[in-house]
Amino acid sequence: SYTMGHNSQANTLQRRARCWGIFRRRFPNWSEPVSAAMHISSHQQQDGDLAMSDAHMDSGLRYTPYAIPSHHWRSNLYKQDQTHGNMEREQKPPERRKEGNRQNGTLGSWFKITIPFGIKYEEKWLLNLIQSQCSVPFTPVEFHYEKMQAQFFVENAGIAFALKNISDKIWDEDNEKISVFVTPSEVPYSVRELKSENVEQMKLTMNNQCDASQQALDIQRPPVDPNLMTHTIEMAQNPRRHMVTSLNIPEENKPSVKSAGRMDKGKELQPEKMSADKNTLCTTFLDKSNNINSILELFPKLLRLGGQESSIPTLRGIEAHKKLPTCKGSFFGSNILKNLILQFLQQYYLIYDYGDRKSLLGTYHIEACFSLTIPFHPKDPALSSLCEYFKYNRDIKKLKDSYLRRQLLKYTKCDIVDSLSVLPKTRHDLSSFVVDMWFQTETMLCFSVNGVFKEVEGKSHGSVRAFIRTFIAIPGSNSSLCIINDKLFVGDPIPKGNQSTFSIPMATPSSTCMPALSQEQQEMVPSR
Amino acid sequence: MRKYRGDPQGNRERYCGRSHYYCEDPQKSYSYRVKQTREDTVTPPMSEHTYSGSPKTMSVDFKTYVDQACRAAEEFVSIYYETMDKRRRALTRLYLDKATLIWNGNVVTGLDALSKFFEMLPSSEFQVNMLDCQPVHEQATQSQTTVLVVTSGIVKFDGNKQHYFNQNFLLTAQSTPNSTVWKIASDCFRFQDWASS
Repeated sequence: SYTMGHNSQANTLQRRARCWGIFRRRFPNWSEPVSAAMHISSHQQQDGDLAMSDAHMDSGLRYTPYAIPSHHWRSNLYKQDQTHGNMEREQKPPERRKEGNRQNGTLGSWFKITIPFGIKYEEKWLLNLIQSQCSVPFTPVEFHYEKMQAQFFVENAGIAFALKNISDKIWDEDNEKISVFVTPSEVPYSVRELKSENVEQMKLTMNNQCDASQQALDIQRPPVDPNLMTHTIEMAQNPRRHMVTSLNIPEENKPSVKSAGRMDKGKELQPEKMSADKNTLCTTFLDKSNNINSILELFPKLLRLGGQESSIPTLRGIEAHKKLPTCKGSFFGSNILKNLILQFLQQYYLIYDYGDRKSLLGTYHIEACFSLTIPFHPKDPALSSLCEYFKYNRDIKKLKDSYLRRQLLKYTKCDIVDSLSVLPKTRHDLSSFVVDMWFQTETMLCFSVNGVFKEVEGKSHGSVRAFIRTFIAIPGSNSSLCIINDKLFVGDPIPKGNQSTFSIPMATPSSTCMPALSQEQQEMVPSR
Repeated sequence: MRKYRGDPQGNRERYCGRSHYYCEDPQKSYSYRVKQTREDTVTPPMSEHTYSGSPKTMSVDFKTYVDQACRAAEEFVSIYYETMDKRRRALTRLYLDKATLIWNGNVVTGLDALSKFFEMLPSSEFQVNMLDCQPVHEQATQSQTTVLVVTSGIVKFDGNKQHYFNQNFLLTAQSTPNSTVWKIASDCFRFQDWASS
């Protein structure tokens, strides 16, 4: 069976045998060093893969501005929180603005700074680390996470160059190198929208309130901070740095903006309230209407940036009746869930790809279910490139035999990991993952992952597969997820250009419909 | 393998029940009778194959859940896509009041929003090529009978090119003395770029 010690790089990682950074104390049941996949993938990035030109990035960029990851997920996790934390980046190209009056008085040319797998790191910790090594001070603009990356903008070629120079010269807590990629960029969205006079006004009012707040605020922050307040504190301490970011705070980050609003009104901060326990903030957090008003009072421009509409905010702007809504990237519901899910996926696939899949036993509930489906092959299954999956294929559209239907549903965690262990060995491309968190209660979390993986052994060595995997999880021990349903689709990705060559057979679906379409490689034959 | 015989009585009732589904009466919602599909026998199977290592009682319950899940999934999927294609305005009847749809990353919550969303969506022609389902454990659902249904296929929206799609449903059972009504608690839909070849 596959072991991690097959090359020297893996040996190094194995010796460390620590769980991934932020969550190292949270998941003692994970036996593998979970940082391994990140390290290896980072190296892949450095070798030129997809740091910038992520093929899965939509043309409309999505991001979820950041809040501190919280390990108090048990209390926060399953609130009925359907907040939609994404914001749409406008499609039309911006006009270049003269920004005059910026940091050092020069006209800015903008650069995008990307930290591959920066999603592992908490914003403030990461930026502090970078600043500590960077020879020049910089102001990060629009810090955010995009899939697995952390990104922000800087305005100045000299600063960008200095940041580029520290790439691979900084390390995280696991002694993993952190890379920094730099590319020229358009003016960031928030900067385009902001008039400089508003900026000056904001600076003044926030500075006035800074002194009072600093006495009460705990400036010493460890990289990991479960307290959502940290974002607020950062804003108070660094109004100049954060004022642009704050304009883009979506609903879920409102508590910070509410505090800023209070500062702006000229009231003194009430330090004891600011440093109060999280429950106060959670109340504030959930009180969306108040926060909306605060935002609007401060930033009238936000009236255009959306998010207030109660009906279908994401469908605003669709004029023609026939248009489809814009396809968007991952939806997590909240940053807490996002962190929880991403961390789960990283750890799960680390073992799935590099370790012994039997050690996933601890991930599954004792009565968990798993099943696998591949596209139907009416011809000899042995000819299909997916033949190694075929014997597990459970597709009840074609399979009518009740006995087989039951047999092919793997039940109990032992049966599941045994089945997983004999599936082909894989390498999943975490940067390709698009995740939908689509149902949550206090006792249950459903999410689906779309992405690609490569097979790394056997007949189909090198084949790239597309997959969608749906997990249903219940709270597990140590703030982990315990999988109770696992449903996997595996198929072959098609080159995008080929879709238009398909004919359109369109049969009306029904359970009595003949399932066996004879299909050529990339043609569909009408079923009637 | 024992073949399940068609039950004429069941067929007739099922057929009658079906015509019920297409009734425009807003009081009626999608329903079918769990126990009276044509794959069923009158006596529930008791002594068939058990799973290695599982106690017999657990396996009997589990088999029942699996079978029930499959019947629910098949029936539901056929009605769902037919309604989506041919009677779009009736589609929201298949959803719980507080159901959520995540449609290519767009979040739609509650029947009003769902109604508007489905109205706005162009007319569709769906073809389901793959279907699978799993019963969801009561520990997750707090004893609310629930089935995970997953579909894959092709869809053509009017005025748009054809897309492959994947869809996940959580169906939850609402039982009356005579029948079980399955409704969507949550729905996740995404276009896919992979082949069904």
